Amino acid sequence: MAEKTSVPGVCFPWEEKKKEYEEIKGDEEIVKTWWEQYDVHAYVHLWFCVIGL
Amino acid sequence: MAKSMEDLYQERMERYKKANRMEKPDKVPFRPFAAELAGKVAGYTAQQVTHDPDLGLDAVIKMCERVPGIDAAVVNMVYVNTSVTESYGLKYYRVPGIQLDADDSFQYMEPQNDEEAFMKVEDYERFIEDPNEFVMNVWLPRTSNYMVPPGEENTWKNNLAWMKNGIAIQQYFQKLGANVGRMRTDTGTVSAIAGALKAPFDILADKFRGFRGIAYDIRRCPEKVLKATEAIAPHMAWNCIATADPSRNVPCSHWMHRGATGFFSEEVFQKFYWPTLKQVTEQIWGAGIQTIYYAEGKWARNLKTFRELPDKSIIFHCDKDDIYEVKRVLGDKFPISGGVPNDMLAFGEPADVKKRVKQLIQDFGPDGGYILDAEAIMQQDVKVENFIAMGEACEEYGYI
Repeated sequence: MAEKTSVPGVCFPWEEKKKEYEEIKGDEEIVKTWWEQYDVHAYVHLWFCVIGL
Repeated sequence: MAKSMEDLYQERMERYKKANRMEKPDKVPFRPFAAELAGKVAGYTAQQVTHDPDLGLDAVIKMCERVPGIDAAVVNMVYVNTSVTESYGLKYYRVPGIQLDADDSFQYMEPQNDEEAFMKVEDYERFIEDPNEFVMNVWLPRTSNYMVPPGEENTWKNNLAWMKNGIAIQQYFQKLGANVGRMRTDTGTVSAIAGALKAPFDILADKFRGFRGIAYDIRRCPEKVLKATEAIAPHMAWNCIATADPSRNVPCSHWMHRGATGFFSEEVFQKFYWPTLKQVTEQIWGAGIQTIYYAEGKWARNLKTFRELPDKSIIFHCDKDDIYEVKRVLGDKFPISGGVPNDMLAFGEPADVKKRVKQLIQDFGPDGGYILDAEAIMQQDVKVENFIAMGEACEEYGYI
C-alpha cells in the first residue's frame, strides 16, 4: 500500500497500483484512467474534510 | 415583456463579472454572503438548515426569490452540514439542535492545549514529509469519534464512519451542483463563488495546531512552522483550482483569519502568513481564477502588502477595516466588497441601512469595482427587514 505520496491530486499512485498486476493483457491506459479518476476523488474528499469542514 | 430567468441570469452575470474586473457595470452588484439568515428569510431554524441539506439549499432559493435585487449569492453558506459531520462523528463542532439551541449558529471548538491538539508539536516532521498521509492516518482519526488510526484495533464504527462519510460528502456535492442550476433556472441568480482557498498558515493554525499551539510554535520551532506552510501550499492551490469555476466567470473564496492584526504582529504576518499565501494566490491567478480575500477582522497595517499581488488578481472584502481607507490603499489595483455593518443590520432600522447603502454606492459606484455586501457573513441575528432594505436600496440607487 502506498502511504507516502505528498503529491497534490494523488493518494495511491498508479505506479504503485500497477505493481500489483503480473501483467495487463489489454489496454493499460483504460485501467490507469479509471484508477486515477477515483483516486483523485479520494484526494479531493480527504482535503475537503480539512478545508471545507 | 418580462425578462426570462435566463436573460436575468445573463444580465446579472455580466454585471458581477464587470465589477469583479474593476469595470463599471450598469448597476452595483448585490452579492450578500448570507448563512443562517437565508434560513430565517425562508422560515427555517438554524437547526433545520444545518441538519437537512435540502432545506439549507432551499433556503437560498427562497432568499433569492424574496429579497430584491440579489445578483449573486452563495449556494449554501451554512457549510457545516450534520449529514456529513455526524456521519463520522466529527468532534470539533457544536451544532444547533444538539449541543446548542435550535436557533443558534454552529460553533467551532478549538482544542485548548497541546494534549488535545489534532496535531502535536512532535508531529511536524511527519506532517511536512507527507501531508496527505498525515491527514488520512493521523488527523482524521483524531478529529473523529469513530475512526481509528492504522495499527490500532479496527472497529465496526470505524468501518461505518469511512463508508458513511464518503456517501454523505458525495451526496452533498451532488446537491450543491443541482442547487447552482436551480438558482439559475428558478431565480436568475449567479452562484457567487466556486472553489475554496485557505492560507497555509490559517490551515495550520485553525485545523491542525490551534491558535495557542501556533502562537508557541512560531517562537519555539519557527523553521518547522515555515516548512509546514510550504508543505501545505501546493495542496491548497491544487484543491482550489480543481474545484473552481471551469468557465472562470466567478471567483474562488479565501476565508482569512490569523493574519488579521489582532492576532499577530506585522513581523509574524510577513514571515509566516504572507509568503505562501502570495505564492498560492499567484498560482491560482495564473490559472485564470480571481480570489476573494474575505478578510475577517481588521487587516489595516497589512493592507499595503497585498499590493504585491498582480492587478485584479483578488477582490478585497472589507470587514472591520475602514472601507474608505481600504479604497485609498488598494482601490487602484483591486475591486472591493462589503461596507454595511452587521451591527446595523442586526440592531438598526431599514432607513439606516438604506442611507448607508446609498452612501456606499455614491462613493464607490462611479469608479466601478465595487460589490455591495455586509461587512461579515450574515447570520440569524440580522433583521429580515434590514436585509430586504439592502436589496431595495441597491435597486433604487445602484444604477450608476
